[in-house]
Amino acid sequence: MAAVMKEAGIPTTAEFHQAISSRSDRWYSACLRITRSPELAEDAVQEALLSAWAKRHQFNHTARLETWIHRIAVNAALQLLRKNRPGIFEPLETDVQDDSGSPEAAKHDQDVDDELSMALRYLSEIERVCFVLKHLEQWRLKEIAEKFDIEVSAVKQAIFRAVKKLRVRLDGMQGTRS
Amino acid sequence: MNDEKLTLYYYNDGLSRDERQQVVNMLASEQDVAKRYQSICRQLDSLAEVEVATAPPDMVERWHESINRAARAAVVVSPKPVLHTWSFIWGAAITAALAIGIGIGIYVSGDNASEVIVPNTLVTSSRNSNAFVRGLQVHLRESEQGLSATPFNSTADRTLLIMSIIEQNRLFERVAQQNDSDGLARVLRSFELVLVRLAADDISAQEAAELQTKLLFELNVVLTKLARDTSDESQTI
Repeated sequence: MAAVMKEAGIPTTAEFHQAISSRSDRWYSACLRITRSPELAEDAVQEALLSAWAKRHQFNHTARLETWIHRIAVNAALQLLRKNRPGIFEPLETDVQDDSGSPEAAKHDQDVDDELSMALRYLSEIERVCFVLKHLEQWRLKEIAEKFDIEVSAVKQAIFRAVKKLRVRLDGMQGTRS
Repeated sequence: MNDEKLTLYYYNDGLSRDERQQVVNMLASEQDVAKRYQSICRQLDSLAEVEVATAPPDMVERWHESINRAARAAVVVSPKPVLHTWSFIWGAAITAALAIGIGIGIYVSGDNASEVIVPNTLVTSSRNSNAFVRGLQVHLRESEQGLSATPFNSTADRTLLIMSIIEQNRLFERVAQQNDSDGLARVLRSFELVLVRLAADDISAQEAAELQTKLLFELNVVLTKLARDTSDESQTI
């Protein structure tokens, strides 16, 4: 059976190691933007790797191994976030600001300090996560809604609020006006 | 034309064909709308260039190691010899396992008395062997509970659980070996063979279910005998 698996082009241990070496920073960053916790981000990548390894015979070579693991890592980050902060994806959550004052978030802010991260601090959890999934991870609105078991309209509203806040922040930060 | 619709147009998502056409028409005919749309595009585009955080080297090292561990656990063991030798190993080794009490000289912590079947009043000629047996009972019972609670279709969870059981198992096996309890070491090694097979990702759900049922049964047999024998021993003292 092992021989059959190798012949079928199942990713090898070496390929996993290579993927970790070349892309783990990106997986970590994506998970960090979702969880805002280095610990949860690490756990998410770890879970993704083990999950990908366990399911490696299902790997479809139409995508790259790194991309496949990235997707699994994002899903793992979402699951961990949900588990650690239950109820954050309640659809009608209004303008609740993020936990930018927490030690975890502060550590995250040190790790990722670009313009986007600065702006994301002013979003609520649901706004931030929906925006990250839509804007950076290019998920479809329907996928996001299904993931969180909420209506597409709720996802849209979260993204609209996020974009509105981000544009205001960017206007302030860049001094530009449309 | 509101900004929300323009945002959805930017993402090319969430608008019907008619709505998209409506936006196209407005952008072509309304200068104000086109200007607002350009502004949205410029700002959202600027948020696409994200900085990548560097994962700490020790973290990356842990990820590499987790793959190594998973690879070791997934070493495919030919199922037939495992199943064929299982009964024999158990038959011979359980007896040996139950006789280990006196031979074990190293104390393995068994402080979690609430989970131990052996009464606290039990005192044998060797406190260390009792502690070892209690520790082993806790390990076997936790393994039994963990395996029972893990669904067959949850491969990643099962792999993680099994890796953890194997690590514990090796600890007990090492202690048994160091104390010339070869019988027990063999029992624990035979556990590992089945566990590794159970963690293999090429195992069918049916085989996993059968193997898991058998493993749970054998765990239960050992636990029962361990508890009974320890109990018998206490009554004779």
